[in-house]
Amino acid sequence: MMIAYAGPNLPHDLFDATGRNAGPLTWNIDRAMPAADRWLESKFAPWTRSVVQDWADGALDHLEAVVFTRADDSAQRLYYYLCELRRAGSIKGPEPLMLDIAKIARNSSVARGEAALRKLGEGLGVDSAALSAAIATGNAARREATPAVAATNPVCLIAGSPLPDDRMHAMIAQAGWSATGRTLADEWADRGPEVDETGDPFTALARQLHARHLDTRGFYDRSAALAEQARSIGAKAAVLWLIEEDDTTVWHLPAMRTVLEGLGLPVLVATRRDWSCRDGIDTEIAAFLQGVSA
Amino acid sequence: MSDAPTTTSGQRSRKDLACTSAANAYQKQFGADLKRRVVDEGEPFAIVQADTPHEIFHVMGIPIITNQWWSAYISAKQLSNHYFEVMAQAGYPKNSCKYCSLGLACTLANDPKTAPWGGLPKPTVLVARMTCDCIQHVFGQWADALGSEFFPMEAPAWEHKDPRWFAHSKDQWEQVYDPDRIALAVTEMRDLITLLENRTGRKFDEAKLQYLMERINEQEGYIWEAAQAIGTARPCPVSIAEQMPNTMIPQWHRGSDWAVNHAKRFRDEVMERVAAGAGCATQEKIRLMWIGAGVWHDPGFYQALEERMGAVFVWSMYMPFAGPQYIRELQGRPMDALASRVCSMNEVLHLPPWMNGWMTSEAERCGVDACVVLLPPENRLSQSGTKITAEALEKAGVPVLMIDADMVDAGNWDHDKMVGLVADFLVQRGLA
Repeated sequence: MMIAYAGPNLPHDLFDATGRNAGPLTWNIDRAMPAADRWLESKFAPWTRSVVQDWADGALDHLEAVVFTRADDSAQRLYYYLCELRRAGSIKGPEPLMLDIAKIARNSSVARGEAALRKLGEGLGVDSAALSAAIATGNAARREATPAVAATNPVCLIAGSPLPDDRMHAMIAQAGWSATGRTLADEWADRGPEVDETGDPFTALARQLHARHLDTRGFYDRSAALAEQARSIGAKAAVLWLIEEDDTTVWHLPAMRTVLEGLGLPVLVATRRDWSCRDGIDTEIAAFLQGVSA
Repeated sequence: MSDAPTTTSGQRSRKDLACTSAANAYQKQFGADLKRRVVDEGEPFAIVQADTPHEIFHVMGIPIITNQWWSAYISAKQLSNHYFEVMAQAGYPKNSCKYCSLGLACTLANDPKTAPWGGLPKPTVLVARMTCDCIQHVFGQWADALGSEFFPMEAPAWEHKDPRWFAHSKDQWEQVYDPDRIALAVTEMRDLITLLENRTGRKFDEAKLQYLMERINEQEGYIWEAAQAIGTARPCPVSIAEQMPNTMIPQWHRGSDWAVNHAKRFRDEVMERVAAGAGCATQEKIRLMWIGAGVWHDPGFYQALEERMGAVFVWSMYMPFAGPQYIRELQGRPMDALASRVCSMNEVLHLPPWMNGWMTSEAERCGVDACVVLLPPENRLSQSGTKITAEALEKAGVPVLMIDADMVDAGNWDHDKMVGLVADFLVQRGLA
């Protein structure tokens, strides 16, 4: 049987080494989700609702296990819920597993992450040789990744909460702009930079994961990273979009807004929004970009 | 939890025990002494979360200000709405976690005339466990605003899931909390000690920790003894409105002579009331459980239905938590025992299977008839585990009412409406 994963900052090379990598869980938020209503509280990230519904519906029964990351609070919390619901017999489905990613910039956290990675590898039947081979293959794929094609239209940067899919990109395209912004699937699929191939593969992969910045638990300057992104893509406008459930980027909103405006960018700030984008954000974006273009 | 006066929007609680006033008076004096030490005299101090190893600071003689206590203090001073507005004006969305960020808001406001104590000076360090997404961001920014340093502690994954953890945690803590999680917490605590020694010049003495841990065991033993008596006594001798201050004020000072003596005094007063058959209500009919932090802006809420319906809040987490989560057989390893206390303090209260396992067991132990759960709409951590726990309680025959409200934000709280909600629920579920 296959294994899948849920969350950012996970060891894709290790999953590949199992030979049973089914990839990330997906979500469909445009439907009723009674199981999620029953068990999840309102501040859970919206994707968790779809996962719980799929789990309860048996849509994931083809999987052997799903690996959750501790580098994202909703993901790690969901792991405990699913374990308990399985124990109570309320749901069946694959075995939830946790990868205990520790993000503090301290040796004990790096060591914790490495130990967790070795434990996961052992549980999934991945030894050092298999992981080394998968890292080599993964690094080759990283090197061959196609750089993004430069846009011909002016670029609007979407920042804040990860998007559910490309529906906001379509809204921006509708206004004659080109959109750059990461979806949640982009975050989860991001393999990160190349992994060091010279030493112990578990140590190297653990260090790569610990150093990554894309997750909710990473320690880094988010506004500086945003400014760098805006500069690198040549953004001419920005949408700072935060969903109601966001518990991370909200704390950086004032600084993010300041750096973008410091770059001379017009910024549309939209907070407490619906992840499905069915709250009129399309009209607001159209009016914003029309105003910028005028 | 707070020594500050009750708000006018809420209602004061009735005091049946002499020791309650003594605890509040002690905390008021402590607050004045703390202000003198850290604000007036510039003594090194730390800002810490409630679930961090306070014992280290106590051993080193370093004053601490607990974020949750400071939030409750600000709330009780009726300043929370002002600071929520400050955050909004600074560009933070209005739905950001309020319980965690009131202290940050007070600092960002930078208004000594308004702030309690004129605002906090620069601490030596801020310490928090990373139990939720918001904490590292709040504490990181708070440390920056104060010109200080944030010392985060991991909240590692916990794969050994024992729903009956509370039955083994005193003596089998290594198995219950996972040896590797305890080892990580010990390593982090030793790093914290090094930082504190370097910054303050004060030394940590493990023999002092051993003694403090023994004293804490004595203190928590008294509280646990009283909690057991309250669980079995009919009528309930002490409402949670008095259980909370008599547990939590000593808890902030755990292991000190005052705290141990106060816990003993509280135990004795509880036992006297049990022996005398004294109850909170004239005629107790319904025994209620409260799940969630205390509603610090309206302590009178908990006693509002005692005479009208004979409905008494007999259980909240603070008092019975003293037994399973604080008492530790030291086994010659005080640092490890302390690590086992802090490394899951939040998890057992907010994650399944620990939360629902414990609270269902406690409902049975205390003969609870119905439960009211606080569901703060903007606080993921405080919401966490409530629905699964509510389902477990209902399955065990305990009706549950969930109310959307916040422990420090009185904005969406109306005393009469909330009391009415509980009254209607009890009627609808056939209990009154």
